[in-house]
Amino acid sequence: MKQQAFQTKSISESIVAFSQFARSHGFNVGLQETQEGLCCAKEGLLTNRESFKYSLKAIFCKSPEERLVFEKLFLLFWDTNPADLKETKSKISVQGTLNKRKVASLVMLGRGKTEITKEEGKNVSGANETERLKRTDFSKLSQMDTELLEEIAQKMFKQLALRLNRRMKECRRKGQISLRRTIRRSIGYGGEPIDLFRRSQKPKKQRLVVLLDVSGSMDKYSYFLLRFICALRENFRQLEAFVFSTSLIRISKTIRKSRLDYVLNIISEQADNWSSGTRIGECIHKFNEKYGKLLLNGSPIVLVLSDGLDTGDPALLGKEMIKLQRRARKIIWLNPLKGMKGYTPTAGGMKAALPSVDSFHNAHNLESLLELENILADA
Amino acid sequence: MEVKKRNPVQKINSTTQIIEALEKYHYVADEEFATALFLLLKLQKPLLLEGPPGVGKTEIALVLSQLLNTKLIRLQCYEGLDINSAVYEWNYQKQLLGIKLQEDTNLSVEEKEHHIFSNEYLLRRPLLQSIMEEEKAPVLLIDELDRSDEEFEAFLLELLSVFQISIPELGTIRAKYKPYVILTSNRTRELSDALKRRCLYHWIGYPSLEKEMLIVKKRVPGIEQHLLQQVVAHVQAFRQQKLAKTPGVSETIDWAESLIALGHREVNAKSFEQTLGSVLKSIEDINQAKVEFFETG
Repeated sequence: MKQQAFQTKSISESIVAFSQFARSHGFNVGLQETQEGLCCAKEGLLTNRESFKYSLKAIFCKSPEERLVFEKLFLLFWDTNPADLKETKSKISVQGTLNKRKVASLVMLGRGKTEITKEEGKNVSGANETERLKRTDFSKLSQMDTELLEEIAQKMFKQLALRLNRRMKECRRKGQISLRRTIRRSIGYGGEPIDLFRRSQKPKKQRLVVLLDVSGSMDKYSYFLLRFICALRENFRQLEAFVFSTSLIRISKTIRKSRLDYVLNIISEQADNWSSGTRIGECIHKFNEKYGKLLLNGSPIVLVLSDGLDTGDPALLGKEMIKLQRRARKIIWLNPLKGMKGYTPTAGGMKAALPSVDSFHNAHNLESLLELENILADA
Repeated sequence: MEVKKRNPVQKINSTTQIIEALEKYHYVADEEFATALFLLLKLQKPLLLEGPPGVGKTEIALVLSQLLNTKLIRLQCYEGLDINSAVYEWNYQKQLLGIKLQEDTNLSVEEKEHHIFSNEYLLRRPLLQSIMEEEKAPVLLIDELDRSDEEFEAFLLELLSVFQISIPELGTIRAKYKPYVILTSNRTRELSDALKRRCLYHWIGYPSLEKEMLIVKKRVPGIEQHLLQQVVAHVQAFRQQKLAKTPGVSETIDWAESLIALGHREVNAKSFEQTLGSVLKSIEDINQAKVEFFETG
C-alpha cells in the first residue's frame, strides 16, 4: 500500500491510495466513499487545498474523534516530503490499532490466588453439579469449576436474554384496536367492523446504563459480571457500559462488537494498579459530569456492580449518588459481598451510597445474577 | 422515472458562494461547514450534523430552504416515533364514511377496497411528503434522530439510499425530486454505522469569541458594540464553567434580545440579574453565575 501522495502517479491514484490509507487506520471508508472523493475532485474542490481537505473530511469521518485523527492522516499522506522521509522511514506508523493481546485470563483466575477454594466450594449442599456451581461464590471457584461454570453461565445468560424478550412480546389480546386492519376486513361485511384487530402497544425499550467496578477487590467477580453485561446487551439495545476502578472507561462500543478479550485486556491493565484503591465517588462524579447530560436523558435504569469498598471520600460518593438518582429512573446496586453471611453495608462508601439506591442485591453467584431478570423485567 | 436536476443548485459552483449566500440569510458558516453543504447539494447525499444543543444545527435547514427557495419539511424525532406518524397513515374516519356511502352502489368488494385505499384517503406524514414533491426538491430536516428508536433508524436507511417508500395498498412511490436531507443529532446515543455511512458528516461546536460576535450581530442588528462584546464574553465564560446546561448560541441571541428589549445598554449587576434566565436554564447555574459575577465585579 502506498503511504504517501508522492509515491503515486496521478491525482486519482492518490485519492484512491489515500482512502486505502485511511481505511488501514480504522476509518470505515468503502468504495462508495472513494468514489465520492473522486467526485469532489471533479466538482472543482481540488483547486483549493483547504476545501479539498474539508470535503474529504465530510465524506470520510463519522465522529468527532475520527475528525481529529483525520487531520493527522491528511497531513501525513499529502504533506510528506520524500526528502524528509529517508531518515524517519522506519518511524511512520500512526498510533497503532490495538495493543497486543495480553493474558486476558489473568483477571478471571484471580491472579493465581486459587489455593483457598476447594473445600469451601464443595461444602455447598446441592443436588447436582450444576446446582452446586450455580450457588458457588465466584471468588471460591477452582480453575476447573470456572471453566464449567462459564459454560453453564453462557447458556443461562442466553436463555435470560431470550425470556426477557419474549415476555415483552406477549400480550396480543390487549392494546389499541388497529383500525387499518379492521377496516380492511370490514369491507367484506359492508362496513361493519365485525372482526376486531388489535395492535399492542409497542413495549418501550428501557435504556440501561451499567457501571462495573473492576478494581482489585472485585477481580474475581468482574469477569462473570462482564459476561452478564454482554448478555443484557441482547435485550437492552440501548445499553451503555462503563468500567471503573481509579478511572472511568466507556466500553459500550467494545462490547457491542463482542470483543470481550479486548475489554478484559483493559481491565487487567486497570486491575494492575489496584493498590491505589477504588475511587467510586470520583468515578461517578466523572460519569455525571462527562456523560450524565448525554446518557441520563429519558431516565434510564442505572445498574452499579461494585463491592462498595471505596478509598475515596464517602461524602463525595453520597453527593454524586444523589445527583445520579435524580436523573435515573432507578438505581440498582449489585454487591457481591452481600452474599456473604453476616455482611452489613458498613463500609464507608457503601453506607454513603445506600440512601440513593433503589434496590440493593447480591451478585456473588450465578443464581443471584439470574434473579436480576425479574427486577429488570418489572422496570 | 429519472431524478431530474434542479436549477437553483446549478448556480452554486463554489463554497465561497455558499458562504456569501448564507450570509444574506444571517447565517455565519465557516469554510469547512460550507464545504459540507456544498457536497450535500452536489453529491445529493444526506448530511449528518452533530454538536451540542443550540449551535444552529436545525437553523441551517431553515436557511438552506430559503436559500434554495424551496419547501422545508421537518420531522421531529422522539422515542417511540413510528411509521404511522413519520411516513403515512390512512384516514380511518374518512374511510369508515366512505364505506357507508358506497353501501348502496353496485361496486364489487375489490372496487370498494380499491376506492377507500386510494390517494384521497391517505394522510401524508413528513417523510412521504418529502418524496412526493411535484415541483422542486424540498429540504427534509430529520431533527434529533438520536431520540428515535433503532427500528426507525433502520427504516430510514432504506429511504435515504433509494428515496422510495412502499405502501402495500398503493404500491411503491418514488421520489421525483430527491430531497436534500439534513439529519441532526445531539449524541445522546451513538447512531448506527450503517446510517452514518450513508451520510456526510459534520460536527458543529461552539463558536469562537469573534465568530459568535459576528453571529449575534447578524441576528440582532441593532445591538451596540459594547453590549455585544459584554454579552458574548460572558457566555463564553459560562461555557468554561461546569454548568448543568451549557448555553448555546441561540441562548446568547436570546439574552442579547432580552437585554435590548428591556432597554439595557450594558451588562451590569441589575441587568445581569434581571435577564439571566434567558441564558441559563437551571437554578443552580444561575446561582453559581451570580456568585461569580459579584465576586469578580
